[in-house]
Amino acid sequence: MPARKLYFEAIRVGDELPALAKAPVDRVQLSRYAGASGDFNPVHVDELYAKSVGMPSVYAPGMLVMGMLGQLISDWARGGQMRRYNVRFIKMVWPGDTVVCKGRVSDRHGSGGRYFVEIDLWAENQKGELVMKGSSQIQLFYSLEDENRQRSGQSPIVVEVPRESLSNATANAAAPTSPSGSAAPGGEDEDPDERHAGVSSKKTVPREKPAAKTASLPAAKKAKK
Amino acid sequence: MLDKNAIGRASPPTLNEVEKGAIRRFAEAIGDYNPIYYDEEYARASGYPTIIAPPTFPASFHSAADLRELLGVGIKSLLHAEQGFDYERPIFAGDRIYVSTRVSDVFERPGMSGKMDIAVIEDEGRDEEGNLVFRARRTLVVRAAKETP
Repeated sequence: MPARKLYFEAIRVGDELPALAKAPVDRVQLSRYAGASGDFNPVHVDELYAKSVGMPSVYAPGMLVMGMLGQLISDWARGGQMRRYNVRFIKMVWPGDTVVCKGRVSDRHGSGGRYFVEIDLWAENQKGELVMKGSSQIQLFYSLEDENRQRSGQSPIVVEVPRESLSNATANAAAPTSPSGSAAPGGEDEDPDERHAGVSSKKTVPREKPAAKTASLPAAKKAKK
Repeated sequence: MLDKNAIGRASPPTLNEVEKGAIRRFAEAIGDYNPIYYDEEYARASGYPTIIAPPTFPASFHSAADLRELLGVGIKSLLHAEQGFDYERPIFAGDRIYVSTRVSDVFERPGMSGKMDIAVIEDEGRDEEGNLVFRARRTLVVRAAKETP
């Protein structure tokens, strides 16, 4: 049974992705990644070679760390489709290092029945040093209703959602329309499970109500299997 | 300084067949056990026609590109500085994807020890009908091999 999916209506700017702490990188993993990726650059797999070019040891290819950060996104955005994923490699990852992947929703927008969230991403080592930084854009269904409509060949739910900046989110969180205030950036102490469980209570932001022309939702319900 | 004439130089498309075993080994190497990469039934129940590949899987694709040829220099070392992907759709097991590589830019950037040569290499993956599947961009800091005087 697939895990529960993530829908656009449940996401707020400032939401944090549940941090992903990977198992420490070891040389076996570097060999496996070399085999799986076909990149046998000896600086990643041959200790003697790495030392001969002045490195203290072999080190992880940046693409392996990018793969770990990709896992953070895919684990969170189940049911979503990655549209863009960019990273900058900042610091090398060595055998024994533990990579911790983190992310935060930086924007959300929708138009013409297509909905996107923008995520800021970063990875740290066990010392809390930044090793990689990036961003991703994910396309999501607006809601379960929207997914069911589209999978049964109907038109998507259309809600115009202008881009929101982080500062707008702060303003919205302070406004009485968002009682939970969970859209506030910097809510690091928030329990991610609680956040997902609580989504149904905060999906009604007035300006995001589906437009009148798409108000044929009861028909869509009938079409559900 | 890298040769600006390298911009636009490209390799011919190379066929990559996306095998389930390759997806599984790639996901295992990352330590990502999301069943969407392993379990056909789970993937179908999740709305996909079959298992999909992790987002960085195109890193495992072959292309006919030889960077020395494309950039026109001997290469002493390459540092991978940035990587980006744009996806038109997920990559599925069974896909047959033609990957071609081109030099999309070369320029100089100020670095800690003088100017650095930067090359931006773009891979493009298309299906057999010619539809775009993904674009990948590698930003490389290139140290060219010293030419013999």
